[in-house]
Amino acid sequence: MTTLQGLYRPKTVDEATALLAQDAEAKPLAGGATLVAMLNARVIEPAALVSLADIDEIKGITVQDDGRVRIGAFTRHRETAACTLPLGSAAVVAHAASQIANATVRNMGTIGGSISFADPGLDYPPALVAAGAVIEIASVQGRRTLPAAEFFVDWYLTALEPGELVTAVLLPAADRGAGVYIKHARVAGDYATASVAACLHADARMSVAVGACGPTPLADPEADALLSTDRSDAAIARAAQWLVARADPLDDVRGSADYRLLLIPRLLLRAVRAVETAHRSAA
Amino acid sequence: MSHPSPVSLQGVVTLHVNGEGAQVGAALHDTLLTVLRDRLQLTAAKRGCNQGVCGACTVSVDGMPMRACLSLAHNCESVEVRTLEGLLDCPHLQALQAAFASSGAFQCGFCTPGMLVSARSLLQRDPDPDERAIRSALSGNLCRCTGYVKIVQAVQAAARSLLPEGAAS
Repeated sequence: MTTLQGLYRPKTVDEATALLAQDAEAKPLAGGATLVAMLNARVIEPAALVSLADIDEIKGITVQDDGRVRIGAFTRHRETAACTLPLGSAAVVAHAASQIANATVRNMGTIGGSISFADPGLDYPPALVAAGAVIEIASVQGRRTLPAAEFFVDWYLTALEPGELVTAVLLPAADRGAGVYIKHARVAGDYATASVAACLHADARMSVAVGACGPTPLADPEADALLSTDRSDAAIARAAQWLVARADPLDDVRGSADYRLLLIPRLLLRAVRAVETAHRSAA
Repeated sequence: MSHPSPVSLQGVVTLHVNGEGAQVGAALHDTLLTVLRDRLQLTAAKRGCNQGVCGACTVSVDGMPMRACLSLAHNCESVEVRTLEGLLDCPHLQALQAAFASSGAFQCGFCTPGMLVSARSLLQRDPDPDERAIRSALSGNLCRCTGYVKIVQAVQAAARSLLPEGAAS
């Protein structure tokens, strides 16, 4: 039997963090797409759940006064995928959202829940790292922010401390760039076997990140620097090898570790060409 | 600071299902699917994987298809739930039922209620979907019998039957 003793429905972030601080065994519940599946399978048996469904301040996508785009943690994948605000190179995040699971799950799952789960096969992590997104985190101590690249720490492990809650994802102010997410999966809607997120910024700078090929998204400053000046096939192949050198993939049902390493250069080439095309058609 | 108290420790949940309020007993860990099937005897939504993968439990929540197995019943007090039983008067659903029957778009039938809820949502948003849009909309509903071809054909046929004369693409 499950040990679930309580279900709280706070209306504000302050109430939610107070509940998490008060009960170390309580887990935040967002869209349920992963957490309820784990409850059903009895993989986890939390003593209490803090449902975030009634907290309006963490829902929806807005442009902040500083120009950054704020995606509330409880924003469903469907809304992020359909975002009509100009995003520039950060459009990679909406493109990734559109490829998560299937339409029904995109109606349920949220960006905060997804990244807090931190499965390396998820679509958001590489997109957020490539886009230079920042994660906003709340606790009873107040709010702090972390670059996405520092938020993802290890397999299923984030930088969240006990009692902390993701409240928003902040995307850089829209530039005149483009962003593309290329995912290789066994079937549409599966977790990625491997994926590449690519952003081509207005100043021709490129940033790329690889998903599902290690505990956290792979990014390489030298690869980004090379691709910012040289996007020949040879340069892309060199950049891919630097990313491969950082990879630490597992063998699993979606593919062997060796197969994933083969995918990185192929997906990087496709992603770079696709983001160039997107950038030209946006110009 | 005062804390909000836990909901429904007495184990009664108030849901809005198929246009009616329903007060039912539910443990905190009971999913919406469990309450629909085992307490309210609304058995169209099926318990397949109970993991959000198969789509057999798909119901409409606030007008959008969602997984009944991935929602805790106690977290559904403020939403409007419609199961297939509550959609039988919908013209889109009736057209889909007729087309599924005439196209032979099922074999064992276990996935059919979820397919119908998802397909109805598609036709409401997009009255003339192409094959790609249909396959995308149904990609969260697994069928282990048909191979999907007749299901896609049935949704196309239902869409055509609902379009004004001569409007089909």
